[in-house]
Amino acid sequence: MDINATLIAQAIVFTAFVAICWKFIYPPMLSMMHEREQRIAEGLEAAKKADDSLEEAKLMYDKELSKAKKEAAEIIEKANSRASQIVSNAKTKAEEEAEKIMTSANTTIESETNRAKEELRQQMSDIIIDTTKKILDEEISAKKHDDLLKKAAQDL
Amino acid sequence: MASELTTNSYINHHLTNLKCGKTDAGWTCDPYAEMGFWSFHVDSLLWSVILGCVFLFVFKKATPKKGGENSAPKGLQNFAEMCIEFVEDNVQSMFGSIKNTLVAPLALTVFIWILLMNLMDLVPVDFIPVLAGHIAAAITDVSWIKEPDDLYFKVVPTTDPNITLGMAFAVFILTIYYSITVKGIKAFVAELTLHPFGKYLIPVNFVLEMVNFIAKPISLGLRLFGNLYAGEMIFILIALMLFFSSIWVGVLGFALHLIWALFHVLIVALQAFIFMALTIAYLAMAHETEEH
Repeated sequence: MDINATLIAQAIVFTAFVAICWKFIYPPMLSMMHEREQRIAEGLEAAKKADDSLEEAKLMYDKELSKAKKEAAEIIEKANSRASQIVSNAKTKAEEEAEKIMTSANTTIESETNRAKEELRQQMSDIIIDTTKKILDEEISAKKHDDLLKKAAQDL
Repeated sequence: MASELTTNSYINHHLTNLKCGKTDAGWTCDPYAEMGFWSFHVDSLLWSVILGCVFLFVFKKATPKKGGENSAPKGLQNFAEMCIEFVEDNVQSMFGSIKNTLVAPLALTVFIWILLMNLMDLVPVDFIPVLAGHIAAAITDVSWIKEPDDLYFKVVPTTDPNITLGMAFAVFILTIYYSITVKGIKAFVAELTLHPFGKYLIPVNFVLEMVNFIAKPISLGLRLFGNLYAGEMIFILIALMLFFSSIWVGVLGFALHLIWALFHVLIVALQAFIFMALTIAYLAMAHETEEH
């Protein structure tokens, strides 16, 4: 073992290398690592936030969807009831109309019948008068009388 | 000066540093010249500086330009961030709420740099020394290099106690600095003199605490040195098996080398980690203000 000035020289070299590392190598490396660490932490936080808001949006979407479905169902229900109402209204109206038409037709028939009856009566009385006239004109015999009556009956 | 290759000379060759220093005749790197304390292991220092620069370069390259895109990290950046997170975790576990911007970069430098230096152990033992010897023999004409074998060249800086103790003492000085600035000089001196026997046995306390205090950097440096030196030694011994004439010994040596290299990877990483963890622990102790 030979101890000499190499020891002192190495101590000086050592100090120099440590100083260089201390001043120029270590701090930029460390600060860069810290900066990246922070950025990664921020990124993770942002990702978590995004995840949360996605979850929220999903919930909102579900809520809106169910709401829309409910609304749609309501609208269909309403439409259906309205349609049935319209149909029933129309039916009632049609029935009323039919009734009205029937009534008026019956009235017309009745009045027509009455008129025909009146006319017939008129004609019959005319015929009777006429026939009576003829009988009175042509001296009435029993036989003639019968014939006349028969003729009148036939005319009727 | 190349003599016949013996087991002894082979091992010695691998355990000797390329040393340059001042002699009476001026500066030289002659391995047989007498030098005092003021000499340097050029190979250890060279590799230590090269690997330190590799560390700084890799980590600088892994940092994206300022204002650039700070997106998901890729490749090299991932590796660098992993290392930094590992170091930050260790510092956090020992420092807790105490704020000190120097400790983490210091720990990172210690860990990666020592890891790289230890990893040089996994380069086959003859590879770089022989290459360096041939290059030196070819391009220089100094008197002490006649043949490639004349150049000593050790490639694992952490098998040189000067390197490990140099780092340990730098850490030690930092510990003293923080002890004094954080606790105050009075509390620091009190810590060294008033334990464990109270104020009536100050000299005894001081001797005991001083041993404890000085033992920290020495054990820190020698632990790393010892582990790597032993590992290197085993690599050299295994490499020696290839010189035997029997092919089977060579094959066995090859298998042993592989097994030891795999095991040594563990030691390489573990010792780098231990040096870093103890560095952090010693600095954390320097910040502890409460009485124990």
